[in-house]
Amino acid sequence: MRINSKKLIMMGALCSAFITSAANAQLNVFACEPEYAALAQEIAPEAKIYSATSALQDPHLVQARPSLIAKMRQADLVVCAGADLEIGWLPMLQMKASNNKVRSTDKGLFYAAEHIETLDQLEQVDRSMGDVHAKGNPHLHFDPRKLLKVASALSEKMTALDPEGAAGYQAQLADFSERWQQAIPKWEEQAAGLKGKKVIAYHSSFRYLFNWLSIEQVADLEPKPGIPPSSSHLAKLVSRSQEGDVMAILVTSYQDERGANWLGERTELPVLVLPMSVGGNSDSKDLFSLYDSVLTLLTNVE
Amino acid sequence: MSYSNKRLSLVAAACALASTHVSAEDSSLTNPNISAVLDGFYQTGDRGLGGRSEGFGLGETELAISANIDDMFYGKVTAILEVHDGETEIGLEEAFIQTMDLPAGLGIRAGRFLSDVGYLNNQHLHTDSFIDRPGAYRAFMGNHYFDDGVRLTYVAPTDLYWTMGVEVFKGDKMRAADMYEEHEEHEDHEHEEEHEEHGPRDYDTVGVYSAFTKFGGDIGISSSWQVGLSYLHNANGKVMVEEGEHEDEVHVDEEHDHEGHTHSASYTGENTYIADFVYKWAPDGNYKYQHLTISGEYFRVTDTFAFEEGDHDHEEEHEHEESHGDDFFEGWYLSGVYQFSPHWSAGVRYGEVDTFELHGDHLDAQKLKETELSLAWHSSHFSTVRLQYTNQKGTNFDGFEDDNIVSLQYVMTLGAHGAHQF
Repeated sequence: MRINSKKLIMMGALCSAFITSAANAQLNVFACEPEYAALAQEIAPEAKIYSATSALQDPHLVQARPSLIAKMRQADLVVCAGADLEIGWLPMLQMKASNNKVRSTDKGLFYAAEHIETLDQLEQVDRSMGDVHAKGNPHLHFDPRKLLKVASALSEKMTALDPEGAAGYQAQLADFSERWQQAIPKWEEQAAGLKGKKVIAYHSSFRYLFNWLSIEQVADLEPKPGIPPSSSHLAKLVSRSQEGDVMAILVTSYQDERGANWLGERTELPVLVLPMSVGGNSDSKDLFSLYDSVLTLLTNVE
Repeated sequence: MSYSNKRLSLVAAACALASTHVSAEDSSLTNPNISAVLDGFYQTGDRGLGGRSEGFGLGETELAISANIDDMFYGKVTAILEVHDGETEIGLEEAFIQTMDLPAGLGIRAGRFLSDVGYLNNQHLHTDSFIDRPGAYRAFMGNHYFDDGVRLTYVAPTDLYWTMGVEVFKGDKMRAADMYEEHEEHEDHEHEEEHEEHGPRDYDTVGVYSAFTKFGGDIGISSSWQVGLSYLHNANGKVMVEEGEHEDEVHVDEEHDHEGHTHSASYTGENTYIADFVYKWAPDGNYKYQHLTISGEYFRVTDTFAFEEGDHDHEEEHEHEESHGDDFFEGWYLSGVYQFSPHWSAGVRYGEVDTFELHGDHLDAQKLKETELSLAWHSSHFSTVRLQYTNQKGTNFDGFEDDNIVSLQYVMTLGAHGAHQF
């Protein structure tokens, strides 16, 4: 009996080892932000996907913490926004994780911003300008057409890393593209009334959304990118807000609402907290419902 | 295995065919990351154990260049400029290469680099939340221990972070004071023959070996932790004391000179054990506005002194061996720092160092206790102005008894600045 049970345990161990190696055949994806975890999920629903940040965490400021090193150590593919959004932590994770598979974009590293034309690229960058990057604005996931290009490039990357899964990735991409392309005109119709509207927002987080829907951000709660709202700067915004043409004050799910609330109280403008990504509010469960939620919140202001 | 190998080679082939449009803006040889750190201070008193001194002064002015060298290697050079007693010293803190392409979670670093023992040691000084390193670091690690050598690390493919590493260093900075040379300088000529007989101490050229392991993970979405255990063997760490020779007072002056400045460890021993932990918390794990860091380390340095038998008999010989057989140095600190807004942070730290000082043929116990409070204003991530209050209480510690010290410091970084460690 004893020998038998030992044998059973050994067989069990062997089986689980086999299953583990079989599971490894699926891609292990490390996403820097939840929107890219969601996108990877659309294209590779079978993959093991981990998001390094939540929609409640500012992706500019992430600790290169042990759990992230451990996850990156096991990843086959790292998917990030790029354009230096993760410059303060991703290089440290790569160094510490010692995973040569995800070290360069030639291999298992994927930057979304490299596959589209970013907005606001700068010739010259100086720290006195605040936390800006020459490579342009990295918060590109709120441009549905650019995101579709990224989806297509991501599917290619997954195919290159896992040629056996090629058919699956292509089928998933085709399915996602079809649903996404059907959704775009629907969203544009829903947001038609927002065209030409003026808002005050925190950071350039919604640069792509505003560009897509022709909303104008007339002022920023931050005096300079990355510098939190100061009382003197907010005081300046009061007069701008009182000109009567501003629709709302917008902040994202990971930004401090106090400055916006202060301004909102003084100027009687509505303050909206928009989900920055999937999981930023209870309605945003995937990329589709994220867009739905943002547009519903914006159109409900009127 | 053959299956995965095949897949790997397919991937490799695909990669070879794929266009290599790696953005030129990323750090490479044509565009390395260049950064500088500026650190200046004013202080109302002298700190013990080679800490900052009274008056205006500069901390370490750092100039660093780093880049990926090629597909395989990353390199970094950090030069340090320090001013002491009107003399400007140029030091090389880092000059290393690091492998980037080894499989199986392995990594090798070679050249001059910061040892990865303990928690604070591998962090650069400008990232600290207090004006000086804890007393334990100043006593046992020469402020922070960097040296010429090689390191091998391994990161396990587990969800719980687990890394291990071994290092081998030259260890010159960690050498115990050479008693014999000391004597040649100011002893009588009658001892000379004796000294030549012994000669200057025969130091091992590879002096320091270390091994460390670290574990870490998250607790929920708001908290993260890491614990580490390190062992450092210092072949030249034991102070050799020749019994019966030193009837007069003998200090190990060269290494214990607190008036001057030294990069070397003040108190050495053959074996150093370090246990460390760090815990960080931020609301929802969002570090932008508020976060808390609690950290602590414990050092134990053993096999510190060896009392050799002299040429002539000494009555108390055995007595000494008994009383000094289990002497060890000890040091620890506990620190808490809270950033309560992006512009402001405050910290409190308490630490102790327990050591012995050699007086003739006996050891005198010493103790230094430091209580520190700091308040920092951050204009951005790149600039900090810090006000700190320090109370240092010494017992038989180079004349430090009970000092209250106020320091004002700025630390600023310019240029491309690399990511910080946890």
